[in-house]
Amino acid sequence: MDGLQSWWSYVVGHSDDVFEATLEHAQITVTVVILATVFSVALGIYVQSRPTSKAIALAISGIFLTIPALALFALFIPLVGPGNSPAMMALFLYAILPILRNTVTGLDEVSPAVVESARGMGMSPAQQLWRVRLPLAWPLIMTGVRISTLLTVGIAAIAILVGGGGLGVFIQGGLTRLGLPNSVESVWVGTVFTVVLGLALDAVLSLIQRLTSSRGLRA
Amino acid sequence: MSESVAPVITKRRADQDDAAKAAVVSVTSTTRLWRRFSLLLAPVLIVALALVLWFYYQSLGVGTTAQIQVSSALDWDTKLRPQLTQHLTIAFWSTLLVIAIAVPLGVLLTRSGVRKIGPAVLTVANSGQALPAYGLLIIFLALLGQGARTVIVALVVYAILPVLRNTMVGLDSVDRSTLEAGRGMGMTRLQTLLRIELPLAVPVIVAGIRTAMIINIGMATLAFLIGGGGLGITINSGLKLNQDPVLLVGAIMVALVALTFDWLGALAERFLHPRGL
Amino acid sequence: MAVEPKIRLDHVSKVYPGTDTPAVSELTLDIDPGEILVLVGPSGCGKSTTLRLINRMIEPTGGRIYLDGDDVTDVNPDQLRRRIGYVIQQIGLFPHQTIAENVATVPKMLKWEKKKISARVDELLDMVGLDPRVYGGRYPKELSGGQAQRVGVARALGADPSIMLMDEPFGAIDPITRESLQNEFLRLQDELRKTIVFVTHDIDEAIKMGDRIAILGKQSVVHQADTPERILAYPVDDFVRSFIGAGTAMKGLAFERVGDLDLAPFDGPNGNGESGAEPTGTITADATLYEALEEMLRTADGKTIVLDDSGEPAGVVELSHLSDALRTAQDEARRHYDELEAAS
Ligand SMILES: Nc1ncnc2c1ncn2[C@@H]1O[C@H](COP(=O)(O)OP(=O)(O)O)[C@@H](O)[C@H]1O
Ligand SMILES: [Mg+2]
Repeated sequence: MDGLQSWWSYVVGHSDDVFEATLEHAQITVTVVILATVFSVALGIYVQSRPTSKAIALAISGIFLTIPALALFALFIPLVGPGNSPAMMALFLYAILPILRNTVTGLDEVSPAVVESARGMGMSPAQQLWRVRLPLAWPLIMTGVRISTLLTVGIAAIAILVGGGGLGVFIQGGLTRLGLPNSVESVWVGTVFTVVLGLALDAVLSLIQRLTSSRGLRA
Repeated sequence: MSESVAPVITKRRADQDDAAKAAVVSVTSTTRLWRRFSLLLAPVLIVALALVLWFYYQSLGVGTTAQIQVSSALDWDTKLRPQLTQHLTIAFWSTLLVIAIAVPLGVLLTRSGVRKIGPAVLTVANSGQALPAYGLLIIFLALLGQGARTVIVALVVYAILPVLRNTMVGLDSVDRSTLEAGRGMGMTRLQTLLRIELPLAVPVIVAGIRTAMIINIGMATLAFLIGGGGLGITINSGLKLNQDPVLLVGAIMVALVALTFDWLGALAERFLHPRGL
Repeated sequence: MAVEPKIRLDHVSKVYPGTDTPAVSELTLDIDPGEILVLVGPSGCGKSTTLRLINRMIEPTGGRIYLDGDDVTDVNPDQLRRRIGYVIQQIGLFPHQTIAENVATVPKMLKWEKKKISARVDELLDMVGLDPRVYGGRYPKELSGGQAQRVGVARALGADPSIMLMDEPFGAIDPITRESLQNEFLRLQDELRKTIVFVTHDIDEAIKMGDRIAILGKQSVVHQADTPERILAYPVDDFVRSFIGAGTAMKGLAFERVGDLDLAPFDGPNGNGESGAEPTGTITADATLYEALEEMLRTADGKTIVLDDSGEPAGVVELSHLSDALRTAQDEARRHYDELEAAS
């Protein structure tokens, strides 16, 4: 309990810094996830009816997810220099697959009978998409967004290694001062707040998912 | 490190709000096509990337025309080769340990007595996705001190989730009636486990192992932070020295290792199916 | 026939891409205003394809399609479809919308006023026998199959189209519910007088629902298109004969009513008719000959008493009445086809 107490007093003592780092971490994550969502949903809609493009898009976004984060972060440095930018670009690539895959699966799962009747009532392809197919795929798309968010929050902690910010700052700070007072507390702050941020964002997204999904789709 | 989502993971609509089940997936025809495609695309990409790396490395003139810093950081015999070996050693042992722990644990957690706590374990496992690998690594450093051993312990803790989850999901998805049939033929519980449940769950478990392996290769990139070596050293040297060539060689080598092993994992997944599935 | 057909298919063909044989080959068919035309034929003969050509869900590869005399082969298909109700076996209700929202789909697309839409939705749900206050706010998953198809019909009637296309609408519904849906639908049609093209593979459903039936063979070739009475009385070829199957003559009895017959006199309960024992079974004058036959068989009398409106015996229907009626129908049909042949 001593550890917990000293940890808490460290948090209280550095509350401004903790808040700032959490905010920056959240900003990185939210920006990346929003961009990735727009991109992946649009791409998913485009490739869904084109089997070859679909396979290529999924395969490539799967490859991104295979490349270790530090390597992918580093690959962007020659392009944009150190800082948050290379981290965000890499995180964007990571965030694509879960959203893309769920968009495609969600659209695939829309019953052909529903599309047939939408068409049969005279809906244009755009109306079929906006009024029927996307709303039906939406809960699954949001699940993908949630997976991407958790992923992004966790990986963003190493942005510090390529000169970026976020909660990784506390982990890095603890590492460089390891053995000195408060170093372990600092590492724990970075770690715990990252997890808490992830869970908080997930809770918000889960609420959004609930509010934006039709009651008729709930099991 | 890549906190790769288990590849099998999409989900049935009914499970939407259930975080634990969100991990469970039905393999649609899309994913099947996509995976077959990945299987073909990956080697092409790997060879292309390897060639790019080779020519790039040659063009740098390591040991001859390159700057001292670059030459020393990228020397094959004293830097890159040992780092590669360390990297693979770490990934190998941690993956092996993960299998040795997670598969029996998964079996245990699906036996009738303790089955009820299974979903809770899965929920915790899933929310662990936001756990930053970096933080975990340093916490273990503080607890266990420097070295490859610490790295391996941290990696095992971190990568155990996908294997545990897939073992449980794989075993749970074996059709009840198949089990009944086995029991009806007079098989003991152990026999049904070894002859029916485990063989049928193999594809899902292998998928989990592949994910764990990729996570381990990714996390081994961070091993340098706590004195565990690995190719992360080269990337870090590039960052510290502000030398893009060093950075690029390190990053591309790491990517190559990950892509190659992921592809091998995909092959294993494809060919380790029990016949008739 | 002086009336202009509501729908005219003129040598319409459809060859699906990647196939050699047409799914529909040179089909010519007129559908009159206010009638139910049933397309019936074995599975895979091209019924659905034919139906989907009419609202251009698929584009014809040959021929022209006319609605109300206008060539619609090249008009905007989305606009066209809003004028045509379409009901499919799988129903295809929008699971994310309430029943009321589902039914309001077409009126909304046509930008009706809100008030008018909600009044229309209530009217339609009432029409198909669902209380709007109970069902309007429900979601499709909260309905039974029969209820869902009622909503499917209501939704297709949304903007009061004059044409309805129905592709095996009751095909996936249990027999008892199907029977009541068929009856209600016929009652509804008595009021609405839509022009309906109704697809089924079930000859009994065709006989029940159709004002006219078109019996289709491979590639939607029309073997016979006529009233159910005539088809049953006079199948033009072996294909039709085998498709309508056993019991054809008996099915034909369902189209005549006992009241239209020249009944034998009723001799009273203790009368000494030379034909032997008096019949014991009774039916009303508006019963069909089929029902009369059933009553004769049930009582094993070979005849049955017909009661008038006040429940008094009005006469007796005998087996010979039935065979005479069948023969008359056959003669009429033969004469009809002979005339047609002579005319051509
Ligand atoms: N989209 C399609 N592409 C190719 N062939 C089709 C398509 N739809 C139907 N067919 C073929 O056209 C024929 C007629 O089909 P359909 O109109 O559905 O028959 P029915 O409704 O009478 O059972 C069948 O042989 C079927 O296989
Ligand atoms: Mg059909």
